[in-house]
Parts: sequence; structure tokens; C-alpha cells
Amino acid sequence: MAQLFDRSSNALARMGLVLAGLLTIAAGVTLDQLQRAPWVTRQGQRPDQPVPFSHKHHVEGLGLQCQYCHTTVERSSYAGIPPTKTCMNCHSQIWTNAQLLEPVRQSWATGESLKWTKVHDLPDYVYFSHEIHVAKGVGCATCHGQVNQMPLMYAQNTLQMEWCLDCHRNPAKNLRPASQIYNNAWREPAADHPVWCAVNGKTGVPTAETVDCTAKEPAEESTKVKPTMGQAGIAISSYRKFTSQEAMGHFLVDHYKVRTPKDLTSCEVCHR
Amino acid sequence: MTNRKDNEKTVNDGLVQISMAQPMTLAQVREKLAGSKGRKYWRSLDELADTEEFRKSLEHEFPEMASEFVDPVSRRGFMKVMGASLALAGMAGCTKQPDEPIYPYIKQPEDLVLGKPNYFATALPFPTGAVPLLVKADEYRPIKIDGNPEHAYNRGSSDVFAQGALLDLYDPDRSQHVTYRGEQREWAEFAIGYRNKVLSTKDGTGIYFLSATITSPTLARQWQAVQKVFPKAKLVQYDPAIAGTALESDLNAQFDLAEAEVIVSLDADFLSGASYPGFHKLVRQYAERRKNPGKLNRLYAVESTTSTTGLKAEHRLGLRASEIPLFAAELARAVGVAGVNPSAYAWTGEQKKYIAALAKDLKAHAGKCAVLPGVYQDRSVADLSVAINAALENLGKTVFLSPVPVNPLPSNQLAGLKALVGDLYAGKVDWLVILNANPVYATPADLGFSTAIEKAKTVVHLGSHVDETGQVAHWHIPAAHTLEMWSDARAYDGTASIVQPLIDPLYGGKTAHQFLQALLDEPGLSPYAAVQETWREMLSKSGDFDKNWRKALHAGWIEGTAFGKNENTVKAVSKQANVPAPRDGLEIIFRPDPTVYDGRYANVGWLQELPKPVTNLSWDNAAIVSGATLTKLGLEEDDIVEISVGAGKVKAPVIVAPGHPDNSVTVHLGYGRQFAGRVGSGAGFNAYLIQNSASPFVATGAIRKVEGRWGTAITKSHYQDHRPKLFGGEGQGNNSLEGDEALGERGIIRYATLDEYKENKKFAQEGAGRETPKSGDSMFPNWEYKDNAWAMSIDMASCTGCNACIVGCYAENNIAVVGKQQVRIGRNLQWLRIDTYFEGDLAAPRAHFQPMACQHCENAPCEQVCPVGATVHTPEGLNSMVYNRCVGTRYCSNNCPYKVRRFNFLLYSDFETESLKLMRNPDVSVRSRGVMEKCSYCVQRINVAKIEADKENRPIADGEIQTACQQACPAQAITFGNRNDRQSRVAKLQADERSYQVLADVNARPRTTYVAAVLNPNQELEDRPVEHTPGKG
Repeated sequence: MAQLFDRSSNALARMGLVLAGLLTIAAGVTLDQLQRAPWVTRQGQRPDQPVPFSHKHHVEGLGLQCQYCHTTVERSSYAGIPPTKTCMNCHSQIWTNAQLLEPVRQSWATGESLKWTKVHDLPDYVYFSHEIHVAKGVGCATCHGQVNQMPLMYAQNTLQMEWCLDCHRNPAKNLRPASQIYNNAWREPAADHPVWCAVNGKTGVPTAETVDCTAKEPAEESTKVKPTMGQAGIAISSYRKFTSQEAMGHFLVDHYKVRTPKDLTSCEVCHR
Repeated sequence: MTNRKDNEKTVNDGLVQISMAQPMTLAQVREKLAGSKGRKYWRSLDELADTEEFRKSLEHEFPEMASEFVDPVSRRGFMKVMGASLALAGMAGCTKQPDEPIYPYIKQPEDLVLGKPNYFATALPFPTGAVPLLVKADEYRPIKIDGNPEHAYNRGSSDVFAQGALLDLYDPDRSQHVTYRGEQREWAEFAIGYRNKVLSTKDGTGIYFLSATITSPTLARQWQAVQKVFPKAKLVQYDPAIAGTALESDLNAQFDLAEAEVIVSLDADFLSGASYPGFHKLVRQYAERRKNPGKLNRLYAVESTTSTTGLKAEHRLGLRASEIPLFAAELARAVGVAGVNPSAYAWTGEQKKYIAALAKDLKAHAGKCAVLPGVYQDRSVADLSVAINAALENLGKTVFLSPVPVNPLPSNQLAGLKALVGDLYAGKVDWLVILNANPVYATPADLGFSTAIEKAKTVVHLGSHVDETGQVAHWHIPAAHTLEMWSDARAYDGTASIVQPLIDPLYGGKTAHQFLQALLDEPGLSPYAAVQETWREMLSKSGDFDKNWRKALHAGWIEGTAFGKNENTVKAVSKQANVPAPRDGLEIIFRPDPTVYDGRYANVGWLQELPKPVTNLSWDNAAIVSGATLTKLGLEEDDIVEISVGAGKVKAPVIVAPGHPDNSVTVHLGYGRQFAGRVGSGAGFNAYLIQNSASPFVATGAIRKVEGRWGTAITKSHYQDHRPKLFGGEGQGNNSLEGDEALGERGIIRYATLDEYKENKKFAQEGAGRETPKSGDSMFPNWEYKDNAWAMSIDMASCTGCNACIVGCYAENNIAVVGKQQVRIGRNLQWLRIDTYFEGDLAAPRAHFQPMACQHCENAPCEQVCPVGATVHTPEGLNSMVYNRCVGTRYCSNNCPYKVRRFNFLLYSDFETESLKLMRNPDVSVRSRGVMEKCSYCVQRINVAKIEADKENRPIADGEIQTACQQACPAQAITFGNRNDRQSRVAKLQADERSYQVLADVNARPRTTYVAAVLNPNQELEDRPVEHTPGKG
């Protein structure tokens, strides 16, 4: 009986096996990448909102502080979305006829909420608290990006678990002085713009208030006049100079009494 | 397994009933007990009989067929569905989260911080006295009810009904519309017609009100005003659990057990639930003295049904209900009350000895004892107990008689109801306005109320549900829930509280205040204004009314309203007892149900599924009898019997309660509802059908076996761990590891009498099965807990098995209700259970109640077997569950020595019903199918406290974190805290020599420890009723 398969089919079979293996790997890699892709995470996407609210205009242009609208960021797990009343504080006086603001006026007149779409949306089984992050020196921009540069709001980061854990394993790389939490333009200390920090010895105050930092070299005069950051009245000798985020971060981790990575990566911290 | 076929039966819905273990024979049980020496404990009769079949049924983690599908999806259909979902499973990881909208406020309330709860003080009116509450609200939605911690009466504790009231509020079956003959109408239409009708009668002729017992001073005031304008209008108050008891009358005896060294319960079940007036305070005071062996009180309980009070008592005497008045009279004579006739009743030698010893003990503690009468006893028991307390000089010390009745409008409720039925038949009733009552269901059947009501020309029903009465009423008006209305109420101690609404009525509910106010000069006056009016004078006494009003609202009570303690006027009381039924007659006694009360909570799933104290029966009521009566009647547990009293007949399952008096049957009211809602309809049998209005709580009747098995769901044996037997144990209870944990010497229950304790203070640590392995005795390295080490201590002497903790846990942790069939196969999800260990004679047992939840073992066996790391240890020593990692192997549950892990076999959580979404605790995940869950030590509360403390740069204070069970516990039996803080209460308790670990020999090193109880028996009765063999146990 003649051979059913030609000799060349051996090579084809081998190639087929290799190809199947490669395809499986490729599929795996694709799914893995897809899982992290903005299509899934919505990183960088700008959903349709009832009003094209510009953080850039309000924060950078007008200089509104974050907490003017997000009032409970220091007091609650939820930073808060401003009620229509907050918009109308100003917009009952200015831009009163702007077409763009029609939904806001509608809401005010009818008592129906504006329906925003959540940009930073964690899954329901994650319990995130703004208050503790802000109290321990995590700036707004660390997670939300430079909001003052965003004409339309989008998520700078994936908000995926690996991104959370990245910081919980080593908070030092993201901590900043408490006075700089709301500063969108904050730059990490470097050799050309160092930061000086000192423990001010206060007791009975929130942890973040026990450290004072300044970007201007503390000199005799600057401790008498008000420094750019921090408080007057601290001996110059107690200031330490930091030229890297890592070094300052570790100093802050110690003095802000941030829990250990072991504590911070324990499951029950975020999942209950 | 030859009997298996016989035990199986197919029921209508096509489901196959599981075969339960072969029931024991009583002879076997007695033999077992006779042969046992030392302290032996057992949880159920099946366990005691320890038959081959029972053992087989325990070999499985869950009872037989528990792992099969019971829903009507065929296996083939299931595979099809699974095939499809497996194909999709790969894609599941890539699904995108749906867009989530944000709806901000228009104007945000000033005091609202989103993400932080608000707390409001209010009160839950209840027939036995209001429970002061502090309700937690998230975005103004009530999400947790607890006692008001600053209130002197309950100090933060609550009970099953108060906890269950939350689910009652969000019950999706509440009525939502005003209806007239089933058609939707407007409230205004009704209100105008109703007012005009009543006004047209001029004097109220033909207008009848049938209301639940009026406990609100404002409502009472409004009624008195209505009565003035319409003198012929009639009010009948009726509460099935109150009618015919001393509670409806003007007798107001208050007890203070703080200084009571001897407590006697004459059928007074004051430790098991809020059915007994003053429960919260009495349990706390009882338990306070139990915690300290130097201050032990002694409890004698004479009771007609097995209750937790009797099982906690040092000396318990089971008597038939009709014998208790005679016992009270005999006791009165023995302590020297003048004018009590000697009865001709023939007491047995044992009973005589009991009476003599009790009387002697009481006389020795004159002025420092208290005799508590049972609510559901003949009125003579209440009167005799006043006389006994007076003779023992207790008045003004432990017992206070107040001339002000608890009830603002005392009345004879049954006589009122009978007169109403008479008037209905006589055609005198023009309008019958029913306020928050359900008389068609909850009245003794011999009155024939359900027929009589048809004679009324117009029936108006104000109720939370379209219940049995709502079905026949012409007008139905949805009633506002307590958490939706303004009212007022008085607690047991007389303190008045303002009932304030936590939320706008979900379905536009109305209150009884609006009904009565509509007939007065200012018909539109709101309940808020009416309540203010009631208290205006009182709150204006010292200073500004508005300020005092706000203060009263904030605090939760009105200062200076408690009953005085010096008013001890003894009215002339009758000192004679009724003659009992003959000894051979069968007595049927009626009690409100321990979980659904008179039926009002029948649609509260938490309370339906809650295993009842003593019997651990869930989803049903039953005919509860003694083992001897069961044998005498030739019955087996779960048999269906027909109980007949007079003309009334009802079919019921029969179950045994150890220690129940012979020739007596206990039935609980509140079941057999037809129109309760999706949860309560059809559960159990309706005992009102055999209730008799002449003597509502005790009757003579007959019982007869009928075909079939009922299929009761009893949770007793679900959690027993008998694996060691499979691995070579002999099952005789003689081995520490291989032995049978409940019967053997594994030291799950450790206690001593006072004498034994004085002899050996370390009794809980010494003896077989009581040694705790050293911390190095493990193959795993020790982890050092540096910062916090959470731990719990449970006081075995204090726990009375009232179940408040379990319902608190339901509410706090979003626990799902699974349904009766699922409970039957062991799938109930309660994170916390109360194990009842009986001890001693089957007819006269003592019991130990042991709350059992995840022990948070440092050396947790569950963690070592989880293949996916879904249960892991936190650096603070919590054994935490990561639901998203769990794949449902159930290895952890298999390896758990305490059997405290519960598995979501099916999709039990309701993700669909809108009203239930409002109720959930936003800080706890709602678990889906295929996930293991268990007690988390209320990790959400720990995290809130940690964040608060970290922000403020301070350590967490002792007592800052309370677990939900601890908060609910009226006996304050549970203590939680940081064990590493040597000054914390939990550290001190755990260092106590009476503290022990359950199953210490397994070396799991549980974080929860138990404080062994010390009992204080009377020497003269020492050998009775429980045999003690000191040092053996």
C-alpha cells in the first residue's frame, strides 16, 4: 500500500506543532496585553460628560484649590463630587448665558442631578480611602496625574491592582511633604532643586504636620521670615537636605509613620 | 443503608428529600446516659444516641446530597450551561467594567460627609417596652440598628427583633399603595371620606378602632382627645403576645438584679429575648455578676417549656404550665406569706425538696433576692410573686412597684376583642379602623374574628403589608415603619424616647397618629407637631423648649421620665392559685415565637433562618415535647401530628426539647402566615387556629399522629467534625484527637462549681484534654505580632443564647438568606452560630451556650490547604478571606476544626431587588456564588478605626473597635481588642486563669478564647438535677 503522506508532511507536521505553540503563546501575550490596554482600563480615555468641564481652566487658569470642590478628601474615603450649588456659586454671576453651562442651570432649576460618568472607577470589591492617602503624603497628582493640564478629565493611571501594589510595596517613591499635597506642579527633589525637611517636634497633631519642608535653603533669615514651605522657628541644624525622591521618601515614611509594606500589602487593607 | 429508600420521599416540586439520619430510640439514649460518668455533653439527641446512621451522615462535610444541585436544573442542562460559560471564562478577564454614573447633590446637606456614616438616636416601640436605638445611616439610609450606648436601660445592647427591624424596613413585600377594594387610590381621598364619615356620626357611634397596644404617649393623648369629641367611638387594643397577661394591665413591677444574689424565675424567660419585659437590662445585670466568681448570683428556674433561662439556671425544675401557679402558692407559703391556703396538690419528693431548699435560700437572702413572674403565666403568678417579694423585703431593693402603668391605656384586651366581635355580629360596627394589627390572622380562632370582620360595613387597615387582614379590608393604607416616622415610646424603665425618622417613608406610609389626628380640630397637624405638643410642658420646665427638644432628640431620651424607685404601693393582690389540669391530660402551651414573635416579623428572612434557642429549629415552628412524651405517644422527631384543642385542629411537626415537662406541648405563635410575603408565607403552622380566648397561653388538648414527615430544618448537627473517626478513631470519646469532640474529653466546654473553683482556680487549664500546647510545638515558624494583635474573649458564664449577635452579624456583614431547603442540607450562611451543649439527664439537663465563629487561628489549618491563597493571614493576626481569589474548592472548610466556614453553593445574595440594595453595608462585599465566607472579626470596622487613629497619630484605644456581635450582646459576653496591649480588656481576660481555647490540643492557636463558667449551686440540691463528678471532666 502506498504511503498516505508524503515525506514533506513530516516537516509540515513539525511546523504545525511549532506554530500551534507559538499561537498559544501569542494568544496569551495578546490577552495579557489586552488586559492592561486602555481599551480595558480606560486609561487616558475621555468619556462624554454633560458639561465639558475643564480642570485646566479652573485649576491652572483660575487657581481654584482642589478642595473647593472635592471638599471631603481629607475627611472621608470619598473625595466628593461638587453639588450643582458649587457650580452656581460662580456661574450665577459669570457666564450666566453660556450655552455650555445650560445643563448646570437646568439641574439648578429642576433639582435633577447632573449625570457625570465616573473617570476613576475602582471595582466594587476595592475599598479605597482618600483621607488616609492624603494624610500620609500622597499628592493628588500622584494618582490623578497633572489635572491642571487636563482640559477634559481622563485617568492618568490604570488603577489596576499591580499599579496600587507598586506604591504599597514602596511608598517612599511617591510621598511628598504634606504642604505639597494639592500642588499639581510639585517636582521630586533632585540635585538642582533639593528639598530640606525637619521634624518640628509638635505632638498631638496629625502625623503629616510633624514634619516641615522647604525648597529654599534654610538660612538665618528664612527661619525668621516665613519660608516657602513649612514653618518658622526650627533650628537650621535640624534640617536635612534631600536631593532625591528616594531619600526624602524614606525620611517621610519614617516620620509620617506609614505602615510597613507587609502591612500595606495585606489583602484586608483593600478587600473586605 | 438499607433504610435509605424508606426515608427518601419525593415531594411535589420534584426535589428529592435528603435522607436524614435514622432517628434514635429513646431507650438507646437513656442507656447512653446511664452508662456515662463525669461530665458529658451532647448537642442533639441523634448525637447522643450516636447511631451508625448518624455517624455516616456526619462523615461528610455537608449532609448527604448537599453537593448535588437541588434546583430544578437537570444535570444535562447544567453541563450545557457550564460548557458555554467555560468558553466565555477566558474572556471574562477582558470584560470591561460598565460605565458608572455619578449623581451629585443639587445642594448637599451641611452635616453629610459622603463615605462617613451618620448616627441618629431613636427607639423601637415594642409591646414589652421600647428599645432605645442608635441607628447608623449611610447617606441617610439606615444600614444598621443598634442599642443606644448612652441609654441607661440597654447601654447599647439590642435583641433579635431590634436587629431584624432593619430588614423589615427594606422588605420588598411591604405594601406600597393606598388601595380601595384592590384599586389604587390616593391618601387624600381616603382621609377626606374618613373624616367626613366620623364627623357625620356626631358622637362616634359605630366607629371602632382596633389597634396594636398603644405604647406611644402621644397616641394615647390623641385617643383621649378623640374620645372627648366622639364619646361613643370605641378603641380596642390587641396584641396577641400581650393580651391576657399582666402586661396589658396596670401592674408595673420593675426588677433590678444588680444586687440580687438569688433570682427565681417562675416561668419567667427573662434571658432569652425581648418577649420578656426588661430583657436588655435584666440580662446585663444577671451577667455582670456571673463574670465575677466572687459575686456570683444563683438562678432557680421553674418553667413550663425548655428555655435558655432554665438551661442557664443552677437549679431548674420543669413543671407543667398549670402547676406553676400552685408552685408559686406553695413557695409563698414556704417563705411565710400570710393568707395562702395550703393546696392539696401532691408534690413529688424531689419537688418538695426543691421548694424547701429554695424557700430556705430565699429567706437567707431576704432583701437580696428577686422572684420574677412569667409573662404568659396565670395572673395569679404575677400577684403571688409580688406577695413573695414583699414578704422577703425585696420591695424597694430589687423589686419596684410603680403606680404609673407601662402601658398608657391599660385595658382587658381579650374582653375588648370579644365585645368587638359581639358588636360586629350585632351589626353595630359601621367603620372598623385597624391600626397596625393583623386580627384576621393573629386572634384566637374560637373568636371567629375572620368571619365577624365581614359584618363591618367598612374595614380600614393601616398595615405595613397587605397581610391576612389587608386582604379582607376595604381600604388598605401602607403603614410607615418605625424608622420612617415621628412618634414616642417608653422603655421598660419608663424613660420616654422620641421616635424620629431616619428616612422619608419609602412608600408614603402613614402612621396611627395621622388617623387619630384627622378627627380632631387640626386634622392636618403632623405627627411631628403632635409629638412636640405632648412633651412641650415637660421640656419647657427647665429652659428653652427648642433647645431641650433638640437635646432629647440627640440623646435619645427625655430627661426625668424614668419611673420613680420609691413608689412601692402594694395593691391588694390575690394569693390563691388556680387548680391545675389533671396529670394525665395533655397540656398545650402557647408562646410568641423567639424569632418572629407574634408573626409580625414573619417576612424577615434573617429571623426566619435564625436557629431558635434550645431547639435550633429554623424556618418552622413545631410541637415541642419531652422525650418521654414522644415515646409515650409513639412518635419520632419530625413526624407530623395533629394537635386539637376544642374545635381547632392543626398539623405540626413534633420535635423534642430536652427538659421539657412531660404531658405538655409547646407551640409557638407567629407561623403559618398566608400573606406574609415571599419569605414568611407558608412557613410553619398557624397556632392561632388552636388558641383559645378564654385561656390564651395554656389549653388542654390532644395530639395524634398523621402520615408523613414534615421535613424540619434543624441546624444542630451541621457543624460537627467527625473526621477523626474516619481516620481510625473509635468514636468512644476517650481519645483526645480521635475522639468524639462533643461527648469526649476535648474540653470544649469547661466549667466548675464554686467549690471546685475555690479548690482549684486553674480548673480550666488542668485535666485531660485541657492542656494548651506550647507556642513552639508547630512545624511552622512563629510569626511575631508587633503592632496590633486582634483577639476576642467570650464569657461562657454570661452568654444566654439569645441570638442577638447572629442577627447583628447578618446586618453588618451582608449575609445572605438561603431558604429552608438549603438550611436542611447544611448550607446556611450565618458566620456566627451558638452551639448548645446539653449536659446531664435528658429530662433535666443543663446547657452551655457557646458562640462559635471563625477563631482566627494563628496557626490556621484552613490557610495551609488553600490552593489559591484565598485565605491568608494578615500581619495583625486576622485570618482573612479574599473572595476574588476563591475558586470554591472548600478544602479550607474541610480542614477547619471549628466548622465555621460557610460556602455559597448557589447565588444566594439578592443582587436584583432595589430596596435590599439600600440596606447593605457599603463597607462589606456582597458575596456571589462559589465563594467561601466566614467571620472577619468585622475587619471593616478595624480598618475604619485604624485609618482614624493613623490620621490622628495615635494608637487605637481599647474599646474603640466593637465587633457587630459584641455591640449587640445584651449580656456583654463578647470582648474584642488588641491582645498586645497589656492594659486592654481582652488581654486581661485572656490572661485570666479561667480562659481557655476550644480544641486547644489541635494547636491551631485560636485568637478567640472562652472564659470558663463558674456555677453557684445550692449545696442542698447539689446532686440534683445534674450529676457532677468533680475532677473527671
